[in-house]
Amino acid sequence: MATAQNTMKKSFDWSELIFKIVLLLPAFLILGIFMFYPIVETFRISLMRASGLGEEVFIGFYNYIKLFSNEEFLAGLLHVFQWAFWSVVIQIPLAFFIAFTCTNYKTRLIKGLRGVYYLSNVLPSAITAMLGLFIFQPNSGVIVTLAKTLGWGWLERIDFLGDPKLAFWSVFALATWAYIGFGIIYFMANIEQIPAELREAAVIDGANKWQYARYIVVPQISYALRIQAILCTVGSLKLFDLPWMVTTGGPGTSTVTLGITLYREGFLNWQYGKAAAIGVIIFLLSLAFTIVQFSLQRESQN
Amino acid sequence: MKLQPDLKMTGLEDLEESRKNRPSLASVVIHLILIILASAVILPLILPFLFAFKTPLEFAYHPWNLPQQFRLENFQIAWEAVKLGQGMFNTFIVCLGAILTTVPPAAMAGYIFSRYRTKVTNVLFYVVMAGFFVPAQMVLIPLYKLDLKLQLINTLPGLFLAIATFGIPFWTMIYRSFFSTLPAELMEAAKIDGAGHWMIFFRIMLPLTKSASILAVLLTFMGAWSDFMLSLILLNSQNLFTLQLRVSQFMGQMGANYFPQYAAGVIISAAPTIILYIIFRKKIIEGTTLAGALKG
Repeated sequence: MATAQNTMKKSFDWSELIFKIVLLLPAFLILGIFMFYPIVETFRISLMRASGLGEEVFIGFYNYIKLFSNEEFLAGLLHVFQWAFWSVVIQIPLAFFIAFTCTNYKTRLIKGLRGVYYLSNVLPSAITAMLGLFIFQPNSGVIVTLAKTLGWGWLERIDFLGDPKLAFWSVFALATWAYIGFGIIYFMANIEQIPAELREAAVIDGANKWQYARYIVVPQISYALRIQAILCTVGSLKLFDLPWMVTTGGPGTSTVTLGITLYREGFLNWQYGKAAAIGVIIFLLSLAFTIVQFSLQRESQN
Repeated sequence: MKLQPDLKMTGLEDLEESRKNRPSLASVVIHLILIILASAVILPLILPFLFAFKTPLEFAYHPWNLPQQFRLENFQIAWEAVKLGQGMFNTFIVCLGAILTTVPPAAMAGYIFSRYRTKVTNVLFYVVMAGFFVPAQMVLIPLYKLDLKLQLINTLPGLFLAIATFGIPFWTMIYRSFFSTLPAELMEAAKIDGAGHWMIFFRIMLPLTKSASILAVLLTFMGAWSDFMLSLILLNSQNLFTLQLRVSQFMGQMGANYFPQYAAGVIISAAPTIILYIIFRKKIIEGTTLAGALKG
């Protein structure tokens, strides 16, 4: 018996190899066809002059160079950074405030509210966009209807989606409403992992809630705060659904994002090469942010 | 151990007690702010109910009154205007397809990556993991061309396979760490009893993944249900349009003058997700924090 097992170990185990291949095959088949091949293709197409029907012609980095004189692309790029900046400055403190108070004031009321804050996050973006139009529509939206009822002419005249200066903020407010729930539950999960002794020590030292938040909680979850900042930034790179459905990037280029420019170039103007180049830029930027994220992770583990 | 009784003597308990009896001003203010913020979340979802049951005339004259009658015409009009029923059916197929092409492949791959760690499988695992960081925007053009080539464009499988490809890396990682938490003795014992690789996986390991699999099915369903961008690009004939694509047509179809119908449309299209959230709140939040922890 023992010798039989030994010879089995020495000889190559074909049944194990087949087992491994069969179990890995479905995942790699799908990933290979629908992800890895398209990734390689994106790089290739981005170097081509390629449109829907015509032949592909190699033009080097011309698509990339051309992009940097494309007004819409530049506006999209600017909005990435604006969007990222304001989400970090507005969404993170707000999410932290809600997460901190919900974990520190444990009344029955607040326990009930906790589930509410995440509700808007599970709504599909099409529904969120629909709600946005429902509220901001210039002719019969909720705000205009309210203004008419109250007789507030000044409010009725505000065009939340049509005014280039306001449109960005209207979409941003809508996105904050939709996405802030993730930050809240992420911070809550992290705050709840802070050792109870730290809190008790703070109470003994006579710290009030705000000192406790400032000197214990923020340093303890600083890693989660930084990760959230990066997720906001990567999220602004990928932004497409909401601004596309609410304002289609307009008026002018005031709410254009990189995703919208890519979609327009690729699927409305049929400029595959240019669209692929934008795809590569989105990828490279998100790769850069991911590397920053991993270095943060390593730093926090040390 | 000594710390506990000492703590009680410092008056920590009394502090908590007094807070309960006589709420401080700060606590009242914070409660108020939290209630206002929570209503800001819910209000846009409640407001449609004020308008959805009204005739255009009733809406024009008394927009803020409670509806006089529970008229359902607006719901019927909204439902038919963009054929929401057909949209829901298509979305349901996409969800089902996405679940079948995401969860089993991820579970199988995760099992290999967890229990058969060799140099080769480790490298392959990193390859899968890299897929987690690829933004869908990056591959839209080739994905569209590929579906065209494979004659999958404008078909529901073309869509759910694309959705699956962005879900597989995440769930492979989850299954890998899940299988790693199962005791190794389980596998050893089965081996001694003469069970082969297949038997161990299908009869012993797979039944133990129930909790992870429920999470995977639920969140894959939610993801496929919510998808907009991939559907927009890969589907182009009306009768295949998913629920979300139809929802996004609402404004153009109905115009701004049909506000009560629009409100009815909001209610119909938001309801399934909200009901799902109410039922599975804990699971959904668990899954999302899992994703966050992984990203973090």
